[in-house]
This record gives sequence, C-alpha cells and structure tokens, in this order.
Amino acid sequence: MFLKNRNIWLLAPAVLLIGICFLFPVSWLLQRSVSEPVWGLQNYITIFSKTIYLGVLWNTVAIAGVTTLLCALIGFPVAYSMAHSSPWIRKVLIFSVLIPFWTSILVRSFAWLVILQRGGILNDFLAGIGLIAEPLDLVYNRFGVLLGMVQVLLPFMVFPLFSVITRIDGSYFSAATNLGATPIRAFFRVYLPLCLPGLATGAMLVFIISLGYFITPALLGGRGDIMIAQLIFERIDEFGDWPLASALAIVLLVGTGLLFVLVNALIKIRGRGI
Amino acid sequence: MFQSERFWGGLRGVINVLLVIYMLAPLVVTLVISFSSALYLTFPPPGFSLQWYEKMFSNPTWTRALWTSLKILVPAAFIATICGTAAALALNRMTSRWALVIRGVLMAPLIIPVIITAAAIFGVFRIWGLYGTLHGLIIAHVILTLPFVLSTVSANLAVFDRRLEDAAMNCGATPWMTFRRVTLPLISPSVMSGMLFAMVISFDELIVSLFLSTPRVRPVTVQMWSNIKGDTDPTIAAIATVLFMFSLLALLMDGIARRRSGQAPGL
Amino acid sequence: MTKTTPKGGLNRRTFLKTSLCASASLAALSIGTRGAFAAVDLSGREMVFASWGGSYQAAQETAYCNPFTKATGATVIQDGPMNGSKLRTMVEGGQPIWDVVDVTDTFLAANEELFEDLDFNIVDASPLDQAYVHAKGIGCIIWSYNIAFNTDVVGENAPQSWADVFDVEKFPGKRALRDRAYPMLEIALMADGVAPEDLYPLDVDRAFAKLDTIKDHVIWYTSNSAAQQLFVDGEVGTGVLLNGRTFDVNKKGAPVDLTWNQNIRSIDYLVIPKGAPNAEVAQHFMNATVDADNQALMANTLAYAPCNPAAFAGVEESVLPWLATTPENAEKGFLIDAEYWRDNLAALTERWTEWKLT
Repeated sequence: MFLKNRNIWLLAPAVLLIGICFLFPVSWLLQRSVSEPVWGLQNYITIFSKTIYLGVLWNTVAIAGVTTLLCALIGFPVAYSMAHSSPWIRKVLIFSVLIPFWTSILVRSFAWLVILQRGGILNDFLAGIGLIAEPLDLVYNRFGVLLGMVQVLLPFMVFPLFSVITRIDGSYFSAATNLGATPIRAFFRVYLPLCLPGLATGAMLVFIISLGYFITPALLGGRGDIMIAQLIFERIDEFGDWPLASALAIVLLVGTGLLFVLVNALIKIRGRGI
Repeated sequence: MFQSERFWGGLRGVINVLLVIYMLAPLVVTLVISFSSALYLTFPPPGFSLQWYEKMFSNPTWTRALWTSLKILVPAAFIATICGTAAALALNRMTSRWALVIRGVLMAPLIIPVIITAAAIFGVFRIWGLYGTLHGLIIAHVILTLPFVLSTVSANLAVFDRRLEDAAMNCGATPWMTFRRVTLPLISPSVMSGMLFAMVISFDELIVSLFLSTPRVRPVTVQMWSNIKGDTDPTIAAIATVLFMFSLLALLMDGIARRRSGQAPGL
Repeated sequence: MTKTTPKGGLNRRTFLKTSLCASASLAALSIGTRGAFAAVDLSGREMVFASWGGSYQAAQETAYCNPFTKATGATVIQDGPMNGSKLRTMVEGGQPIWDVVDVTDTFLAANEELFEDLDFNIVDASPLDQAYVHAKGIGCIIWSYNIAFNTDVVGENAPQSWADVFDVEKFPGKRALRDRAYPMLEIALMADGVAPEDLYPLDVDRAFAKLDTIKDHVIWYTSNSAAQQLFVDGEVGTGVLLNGRTFDVNKKGAPVDLTWNQNIRSIDYLVIPKGAPNAEVAQHFMNATVDADNQALMANTLAYAPCNPAAFAGVEESVLPWLATTPENAEKGFLIDAEYWRDNLAALTERWTEWKLT
C-alpha cells in the first residue's frame, strides 16, 4: 500500500507534464481538424481529393519507399561485412554507421549542401579532373533528398540485420553451394529467407521514420519533393491554416500508428517462429 | 568457385570503403572547412585559420543564440532527468497492466513524428502565452527528452538487484535513506547518461524550436536553419563543429562514467 | 574555358572577398554618421526588424539600425526574409513577432489593414518627398526591376527587351525570374509586345500564355540574394534582377550588368504590423530611416534611390547612373501600378501558385 502511494507520487510529475503539454495538445489538434470551419470531415476530404495534397502524400510514400529500398540494398552488404569481418573492420564499420547518429541532422544537411551544390566540392572536383564540363544538379532535387535520408536512416536498417545475420549458421549456405546451387541461387533461396525477419524490422523502422521526415527533405529537396511534414509546417507557419494542417498531422499520426502496430505484431510472430 | 568468392569479397570491400566515405565525408568536410583560411567554401582549404570561430563568437546573433540554447538545455535536461528517473523507478515497481500503458504514453513523444508534437505544442502554447518564451521552449524540450531518460534508466533498473534495497530496508533504513545510499549510487551511471543524452537532444533540437521561437528567443539550431536557407557561409561550419563537439563530449563523458561503473559502453 | 565552373567559382570568390571588404568599409563609414534625427533614450528596449536578407538587409542594418541603436540605445534584432503570407498569418493570429517590416508598395496597398497607423507626433516625415509618405508607412527606397545579364554568358549582344529575355533561341539556357505574380505578369505582357502604357488592367490570360512558352527554361527565385548568386555564377545568362542587387555584384567585380529598357519602378515602405510587441520603439525607429545621411549611405551602398530629397547631396557621382529615379532611367521605365495590385494581388497570387504547380 505504501509502495503504491509512493509510486503515484513518483509518477506524477512525468505523467502530468506529458498529459498537459503533450496529450492535451495532440487531442486539441485532432479536435481542430474536425471542428473547423464547421464540424465534419471536410478537411480530410480536401486532403484526399485535391491534387496538391495527394501529390504530397504520394511524394511522402514514394520517398519513404525508395529510402527504405536503398537502405536495404546498402545495409545488407554492410551488415554482412560486419558479421563476417575481422574485429578491426567490424569496429570501423560500426563506428562509421553510428557516428553520424551522434551529429545533428541539421549539421549533416549543411555538409551535404557544401559537398553537392553546383559550386560545391564534388562538382569542383569533377570539373577539376575534367570529368564534367557543366556542374551537375546533385541537390535541391530528389537525388539530394534520398542521399541525405539514406545516410541518416541507415543505422536503423543495419543493426536489426546485423543481429539476425550473426545468428545465421553459415553452413546452410555452404551446404547449398556444395549441393550444386550457384552462389546467387543459394543466396536467394537459402540465405535471404533466413535474414527476412531482420530485413522486415529494419525496413519498417526506416519506412516509419521516413514518413515524418522534415529537415532533410526541406533543406536538400526542391519544390517537387515536399513531404507531408514540410507541408504541415508551411501550412501553419506561412498560412496559419490550422484545420488543414491538423488534419494532415492526424493523417500522419494514424499512418505511423498503424504501421507501428504492424511492426509490433511482426516482431511477436517472429519471436514465436524462432 | 574460388574465383567467385574472391569476386564477392572484393565487391564487399569496395562497398565497405564507399560506405565509410559516404557516412563520414559530410562530417570531415564540415570540420575541415570550419578551420579554413579561405573566405569562401573551398576544399581542401588553402590554410588553417580560426577566423570563423572568431566571427561566430564576435557576432551577437550567434552568441545570443548559443546563450539561448544553453539557457534551454540546462534546465530542460535537469527537469527531464528528475521526472524521467522518478517515473522509471515507479514503473519498475508497478506490476499492474497500467504500467505498460503509462510507459507507452510517456514514450510517445519519441515514437510519433516530431512535426506532430511541434504543431500541437505550438498551437496550445500560443493560447497559453508560452509561445516565444524561454519557459515554453524548456517545457517542450522536457517533453522531447524525457523518453530518453526514462528508457536509459529503465534499462538499468531491469538488471538491478532489488534484494539490495530490501536488505537496506530490513536493516532499518528509511525509504529515502535506502534511495540515497543504495539505489541512487547503483543507477547513477544511467541517470547521468540519460541527462547527457537529454542535453544533446535539446541542443540539437530544431523542429519544435522552429515553431516556438521568435527572433528574440532563438536557439542556435533555428538560427542555423535560417542561415542555411540563405547562404552557405563557413561560419555555419564553425557552429556545426561546436554542435558536434558537444555531442562528442557527451559521448566521451558517458563512456567514462560507464567504464568507471564497470558497465558496457552504450550507444 | 568559356563557361566552366572554375571560372564561376573564381567569380564567386572575388565576389565574396570584395563583399567582406565592402561591409568593413561601410562599418567604418557609419561610425562617422551622427544621428541627426530627434533621439530619445530607449536603452534596454528591443525591436525586431524584418527585411529581405542578403546585401540589402546588411546595408539597412548599417544605414538605419546601427545609427538608431547608437542614438537611442535600443537593440535591433534582425530577422527575415520577409514573407507576405507569413506576415499576414502572424498579424491575423494576433501575435506578430516583427516590429518593423520592409514591404513593397504593392504589398502595402493590398494589405493596409495589417499595419499600425504611423504616429506622426513621433515620426517626423517632413524631410521626405510627400509622395512617399503613407498613413501606414514611410518610403525608404525607390528601386526597379531590370533586365540583367551575365556578360560572360551572353557575350556581345546583350538582351535589350523583355522579348529578348523570353527568346529561348537567341538566349539558350536558363533565365532567372521572380517567383511571384508581380512583376512577372507585367514582364510577360511586355515580352508579348504590350506597351507599358497599355499594361493595366493586365490581360492575365495572355500573360500566362506567354509564360507557358518559357516555363521549362526558367530558374524561379524567391530570394534576391539567391538571384545574385545565379547571375554571378553564370548559371543564368539573363533574367530579372533589382537594380541595386545588380549594382552590388557589378561593383564587386562580377561580370553582371543591366539595361534600363522597360524597367519597372517600385518603392519599398517600412511599416509596423498591427499588434507589434514593440510598436513604440518601432515608431521612433522610423526617424532613423528618414534621416538624409542614412538614406545617402543606403544609396551609396546599394544604389537604391532615397525618398528624402536632401539625401541626394550625399550620393556619390559614380552611383547616380545606377539610380532608378534619374530622368533618363525613369523615362525608359514606368512605376508599377500599386492600385491595380491592391485589388488583384490575392486572386492573382492564387492563380500564380496554381500555374506553378501544373
């Protein structure tokens, strides 16, 4: 009884803070999305019927999807190398994947601008060695956004994969090749299915986090790469359009929430399977 | 087959090298440029100079912004650490289903996209008169950093031997004494690392600050944001380096604290 | 070796280098200027000044803000860039964060309800040409949109008219144009052969049809600093640029020049948003901008013509040909019709946004 009271007392500050300054504001947002200009779903109908908003929703899903795919393509060999290399190389790889994790996204986006812009380091270098005559457009477009986002999100793919790969018995693969399968066939038929749980978790994480991304696309993207988070910001900051911005935020919240539940379910199934 | 194994090994090596370049290049470029003697962004720089750091510390806009950031991160990390640690202790002792729900709610600011939190807090804080104030920014940063403290301390408590506490209590120690003399020393490395984490997150935070700050109360990240959108002035490289060094320092302190307490290094 | 990056890079480098030297000499100059305007003690007070960024705002900081701080003790915090919809949102939301804002005459005419009345008990507007005194704001500079070009890119035959700017065969590559309904609709119509005196009311459909023809050959800019960089780097051969911004890069050695043909003149006003937290300090600030010495300093820095006739005495000889108000320059262009835009800005901005997205 005494412990129980003490628990409530200890929990109170955190719960009050989060309740008043987080849960309440979010529900306030939800309310504004359905109560203005009049009660109803008109803001949601606008989002899902106007080309501008549908375009942004499509951008969001497309950029998140391609980012996930690229993370998987890059993350797989990296995770494999981490699991199967000498401790020294493993350390370098882990360090490389993690150190950007410790630098703010703002700093990294700035660095990419310095490297990629038309008068930037990469273009100067390529022109200097005579490889290009005209500077390439490497930033303020989809390419820049993807480059920046993959770099930020790679750790979320590499580590789940790494933890699965270290547990896979290499002899399966050798067995398959010894029995006459080509390495490529053995990889797709034997090895990849074994990695699937880690790949799925990593992909879901990357995808979910990408959906709400704001800084990288805003700084490295062009007008055609606006994602939902940036649209929410502009709608509020520039136009004060709270009802629509709230509805967009709720769409993002529900989307992320559903995927999160899905990931949890997936992890549970995986846990049962192994 | 030997041939192909060699090929795959070589390919992996190339990929690894490219990866290291890809992940580290932005950081290296920023660090190097911040010490450049050139007046423009050029790489490699022609010489070494501290001019951008001088410029940063002599420009009132930047010093003001750095000062504002400090005035936010210190109280925010402090409050988040106290509230988060208390909540972790309480949740660790709770056995009902509610514990899971409460933990989920407290962790929510970490899980849902920050833009939603930012928009929601901005909307309500404007009504409450907290928009553009230091207090408003501090509260918002507490909300964002509390989950980190909670999860770090909780992870430590999960491996904590409760019998030590029971023993102290059986020997007649008051709950407070037990906490001060037994619990706190044992969990202090994780409390410390939670607080460092909170400081770094607060210092690097942009999105919520972007909504809540005004030109009069503007943390350094927001100032960087508006400058990056205009020019890529090397001063920003100096600021970026300061931000990075802050993270690195926190990481180092965390490592030292953990090593001293004999724990495995964290992230 | 005609148009490669090393060259462009070199240009930018000299540009940056000289710009640093220029601001240093500017700072030295301003120390000499004494606040001749009625100074009150405002020490400890603050206000936020929002403008268009880049070299323009830097010049304003030196010409208006620093003398003001020196004379009154008030701190001026710089912010920006000015954004019309953002300004409207913050005033309508009741919590503006800007105290003094630099707006175009067009924006002022279309949005008078957003601004505080000037308190002419505090603001002494008598030195100004009264044509530039508005109940809600005072004119600070007279400037123009010009046809600008990079001489390295376009070579001998520079564009002479907006029709040339729209001619993608004569001038291949990209052109830099302003991402905004005004002055682009006027420009498009002139490119299509409409004489300046027949422009208003604008034939909007015709203008958009003309813009359709070059849509793929344009870099749209929203910030004048970014536009300067585009011209300096030679990323665009031609396009529209403000006279002062052209003067700025030209003076610093970049191969960028302009023609006065078909220039569009406009005026910038300083206004106080309704509900500004430091409106009183802002009213006093206006006096620092009216001051003849300060206006002359602005003209000498960026070739923007003063609204205070007395300031012309302080304008350097070499700067005079760059001013939009000299008779020979003024007669080649016309003054933008702020009245027309007052009535049509909102609708045309919406149409502009839609056009950009399709």
